[in-house]
Amino acid sequence: MAAPDQPPEKNEEARSAWLFNLPLVLLTAAFILIPVGGTLVTSLFRDVTYLPDAFVGLQNYLRLAADLHFWQSMRFTLLFVAVSVTLELIFGLVFALLLNEAMPGRGLLRVIVLVPWIIPIAVSARIWELIYNYEFGLFNFLLQHPGLTQQPVNWLGSSAGAFAAIVISDVWKTTPFMTIILLAGFSTIPQDLYRQAMVDGTHFLQRFIHVTLPLIRPVIVVALLFRTIDAVRIFDLIYVLTGGGPGGATTSLSLYSFQYYVSGDFGYGSCISLIVFLIAGLLAVSYIRLGKFSEVLR
Amino acid sequence: MQKAACGAMGLMASFLVVIVLFAALPGCTGDAPRLTFWVGGAPQEVDYWEQLVIGFEKDTGIDVEIIRQPAATEQRKQGLVIALESGRPDPDVFLMDIIWISQFVQSDWLAPLDSCFGENSLHPRQFFPSVVDRVDRRNNRYYALPAFLDVGLLYYRGDLLQRHGFTGPPATWDALVEQALVVQAAERRENPGFNGFVWQGAQYEGLVCTFLEFIATHGGGISIDGTVNVSLPANEKALQFMQDLVRRHRVSPANTYTEMKEEEVRRGFQRGNALFERNWLYAWSLHQRPGSAVRGSIGLAPLPHLPGAETAATLGGWHLGISKTSDVKDQAWKLVEFLLSHDTQKKLLMKLGWYSCRRDVYQDPEVQSQVANIETLQQIVNHAVSRPDLPYYDHISRILQRYVNDCLAGKHSPREAITAMQQEIDRIEEIYGSP
Amino acid sequence: MNETRLQWILKALAALVLPAFCLLPFGWMLLVCFSRQPDFLLPQVDFAPTLQNLVDVLTDPSLHLMAYLRNSLLVSAVSAAAATFFAGLSAYSVTRLRFPGRILIPLGVLAFSMFPQISIVGYLFKLMASLDWINHHAALILPYTTLGLPLALWIMISHFAQIPVDLDKAALVDGASRLQILFRIIFPLAAPGALSTVLLVFIYSFNEFLFALMLTTDYTARTIPVGIAMFEGLHGQLPWGHVMAIAVVAILPVLLIAAVFQRRIIQGLVQGAVKG
Repeated sequence: MAAPDQPPEKNEEARSAWLFNLPLVLLTAAFILIPVGGTLVTSLFRDVTYLPDAFVGLQNYLRLAADLHFWQSMRFTLLFVAVSVTLELIFGLVFALLLNEAMPGRGLLRVIVLVPWIIPIAVSARIWELIYNYEFGLFNFLLQHPGLTQQPVNWLGSSAGAFAAIVISDVWKTTPFMTIILLAGFSTIPQDLYRQAMVDGTHFLQRFIHVTLPLIRPVIVVALLFRTIDAVRIFDLIYVLTGGGPGGATTSLSLYSFQYYVSGDFGYGSCISLIVFLIAGLLAVSYIRLGKFSEVLR
Repeated sequence: MQKAACGAMGLMASFLVVIVLFAALPGCTGDAPRLTFWVGGAPQEVDYWEQLVIGFEKDTGIDVEIIRQPAATEQRKQGLVIALESGRPDPDVFLMDIIWISQFVQSDWLAPLDSCFGENSLHPRQFFPSVVDRVDRRNNRYYALPAFLDVGLLYYRGDLLQRHGFTGPPATWDALVEQALVVQAAERRENPGFNGFVWQGAQYEGLVCTFLEFIATHGGGISIDGTVNVSLPANEKALQFMQDLVRRHRVSPANTYTEMKEEEVRRGFQRGNALFERNWLYAWSLHQRPGSAVRGSIGLAPLPHLPGAETAATLGGWHLGISKTSDVKDQAWKLVEFLLSHDTQKKLLMKLGWYSCRRDVYQDPEVQSQVANIETLQQIVNHAVSRPDLPYYDHISRILQRYVNDCLAGKHSPREAITAMQQEIDRIEEIYGSP
Repeated sequence: MNETRLQWILKALAALVLPAFCLLPFGWMLLVCFSRQPDFLLPQVDFAPTLQNLVDVLTDPSLHLMAYLRNSLLVSAVSAAAATFFAGLSAYSVTRLRFPGRILIPLGVLAFSMFPQISIVGYLFKLMASLDWINHHAALILPYTTLGLPLALWIMISHFAQIPVDLDKAALVDGASRLQILFRIIFPLAAPGALSTVLLVFIYSFNEFLFALMLTTDYTARTIPVGIAMFEGLHGQLPWGHVMAIAVVAILPVLLIAAVFQRRIIQGLVQGAVKG
């Protein structure tokens, strides 16, 4: 395999490299690439447990285009992504700013901030399920007791309430991640810039907008990228908290696809999951483009 | 810093070894044959199954492991589909909702039971033919047997009917509306939340059951002869009637199509806030419990119908099946025999109010003296109608649910709803109907 | 408003708002866990403290909580160790060896980390079913290891890159093999990074839900997140006391890890994300 004019060390290096990378390549091929490829192929078939498999080409996709429940899921998912990622960014920035101040107990605060992120989503979803309970949940108690509302809010039983419930729970859970990333970004800003700005007599807010924000822009882009793609694939929270209800109002695309898988319809389920894949891919590409553009502009 | 990290790594490595040992020791292979029985439902119900199974274990010495499933029907089905499709040896015995059986049989997940029947043991003849023949028998083989029965029927407040001069429950829909209007007007003077007729109209599976009863009692139905056909003029009339109940006659509350499912309907009637209730058999024993506001003043009857048509009751209930890939089929059958034995079925009836499909249970003198409504029940079961018995029923159900609910909400006229329903059903059939 | 005043206000806010925001649900969880009745906020119900909920969930055999815990710990620990090890191998090659496609490995792995799990799990189920691995630990360990590789790789690369190549060259001259260099020199020097990796992959695997939901069928291989999601209650009372008790047990392992290793975890997160 070696070309005659290549130095022997290079060959030896290449061969070693292959061996070193073998586990990663094998695992990735077996448990990521092949399944995704298999999903793509399955989406071109009618694949249900009670019928012989049949190649149907793009029929699943055509059916998807006319499927009202699919478009409902799409709308919900995109709306959810927009709202919660925005909120997480805002909260994350605020918290990062707060944590950026030197103060006693900062280490403890950092652990506290980490805690919502570190526990399983399923567990946090059940806690939130209880908080949103109509009769004796915490939120309705906090709203009714001081007389903020007359009637208890039907969090999980109304589509608006369920949407709010999901957004609140998700923001609570993932703001810590944003906070930590942004905080790390803050720490890369040289202190001299701040001192310079303070000497110039600028206001705190002006400092934030003109000094801090531009410098952490790449960090924000990366954090947004990860969070957005994560938000698009949301499943755990919705499965446990609302089950996609009421009446399909909070069914995300992942959940919609899952429902088909577990009713024995792998063809249609694969088709939907590929759409999720495409959306994630599109988002990733757009972010990277946007990220690159701002680099180029500078 | 690095030393500390190294130390931590060493600690974690030993921790890892401990975990692997801890996990590897107590038979974590999970492949030793065991008889598993998957049961879902409310915790008290599962508790009762556990008690029953203890009796079985004592009698036969066979160990049974009950695996609890969630209460929600959809989640139970999901769990079963995953397990059965993976071809694992577990579960061995499990309960199936009546509407899953077609898909489960077609997906080749159920073991045929014929070779297990015997003259002196369990035999399909011992059960209601209208159930076993229609549901459990396919291609001349039996794939399941009924654990208990459910049918839709009419509950009525006998005391209120008497008070307002009516002799008995209505036999026709017009009579029902008439009685409901009279009583509702009178009762609303004291109790503004009173409704004439409460039934399940929310967008879920239960709505299809109610819909089926309405159309069947109007002389219509859903035929699956060759192709699924729902567009009959009688069905349109029935859907119009359903819409009228809520929007024109106003004997059914406005939240019928937004919130009303089994429990909401049952609670409303049980608190004394309704004259008529359409619900399943299970509600009877709950209504008659001490503490219920309607205890002793209710009766049950077949659902009303159009003059010239017949009464109808949607067939529900849960059936027992044995997995095709079970590794302990003989023991599984013994468990099924036990659960469907005369004694066990009698216990389920007397303790939980779950009506059996075994005919001899109803001939037992104790049952006859203590359990109410046996004759009415016979009559109702003879008029049972089934939801479309197709493996892709869940797709059809979703279509029916959506359009019937939209029609009740006033978004479509009955004709539009039926036409649209039929169109979508046709499309589904193209995809899933042909091999 | 002058600067120091503002700073003081911010610090006060931080000290109050942050903990409240983050810990309120946990406070509630603990209250309900240790309460006899979960609906004690209703005016007619009193709050009565009890340990019974915890005792119930730890001892009830039909709940299999210990089995869930065991499965979760096992699967998470093994996949964390494996991912760190395999990622270390690859990171070594990327930072020290020259070979065609060297950049592809980290970039490719980064791209794969963005694949939605739902697009993997359907076919993966069929794969596992055909291997007869459904409801076995292997069905979870292998995918979790794979899903942990991207994060692990990026953290290890950033650590390995900081170790001077001269060390390698010296050892090579002494006749050491590449593997020996990796284990005797590089890994020990990058131990903090390896630790971060193990922790993060452990946390990720412990919390994973979708794969566990579809690739396991009962307590033999099921993990805690699925267990708690499916839990309906014991013996017919309102289940919330028991649900919260399970929640307490479920989060103890990860909380312990967070308390002890918080710095490592945060470093790992930052490196995995910021470097990307």
